[in-house]
Amino acid sequence: MPLDPLSTTFAALADPTRRAILSRLALGQTSVLELAEPFEMSLPAISKHLKVLERAGLIARGREAQWRPCRIAPVSLRQVDGWLANFRKFWDENFNRLDGLLEEMKAEEAVKAAARTKPKVRVRKEKPRGRKSR
Amino acid sequence: MDAKVDKTLKITTPSDLEIAMTREFDAPRHLVFDAMTKPEYVRRWFGCEAFTLPVCEIDLRVGGAYRFTMRTPDGVDSTLAGTYREVVRPERIVFTERFSMPGFTSDEYQVTSTFMEAGGKTTLTTTILHATKANRDGHLNSGIEKGVEPAYDRLAEVVATMD
Repeated sequence: MPLDPLSTTFAALADPTRRAILSRLALGQTSVLELAEPFEMSLPAISKHLKVLERAGLIARGREAQWRPCRIAPVSLRQVDGWLANFRKFWDENFNRLDGLLEEMKAEEAVKAAARTKPKVRVRKEKPRGRKSR
Repeated sequence: MDAKVDKTLKITTPSDLEIAMTREFDAPRHLVFDAMTKPEYVRRWFGCEAFTLPVCEIDLRVGGAYRFTMRTPDGVDSTLAGTYREVVRPERIVFTERFSMPGFTSDEYQVTSTFMEAGGKTTLTTTILHATKANRDGHLNSGIEKGVEPAYDRLAEVVATMD
């Protein structure tokens, strides 16, 4: 069964070399030769990675020029970005507000604890126990 | 010995059906638990900045129901509602949930939250278990149409979160 588009995208992103290629392409389009330079890999191996990225719709390769420039394809990335970013953003914002509330709750609890201990001290003074405390 | 609290939200997909979130809070777990399960507290943090929360009902006991309805400024409601399966204050809570908005109601999924305390700090781990992978993917994808407009310069960051 063929993978759904998002799974293909994520499978393509699962490889560190391919993520490194994407990070490089985020800076601008470039040639296969230039892309291969920082990796200890043969050109055919890099070409294989590029094919996976292309099939996943993450990059596009120019047909016009002989050096076939590689660039990032915006559509799939928008999908990936949205895939995580919205879920993360929602909970990040919620939890950041919760941090603020927890500070207030801690302060309230401290005030209550202080109020509780004061009368106890008085009670002890009024009714000292028989045992020696020291 | 006062370890610093790492407030980074960590999101992983432990299996094809799950989403897991981990977050640390600088408070003991009974406070985190109450903040997440008492309506008077939930109202103060849950939702979206621009949305109101006209319904926030919690019947915190096994078999009890809860319902949160968020309303956008133009009056569109979306609701999270479900039933509690386990309630162990302040350690653990398990509930079922459905998300609904006009024209869409999700299948039911199960949410398990555990609260671990160490040195007055709490680590919350929430695992969301869906019936199918498609549902799980859809959940992570939720809100995409509301649009956080992605920029190219965010690419490196997005790719980094894929590890």
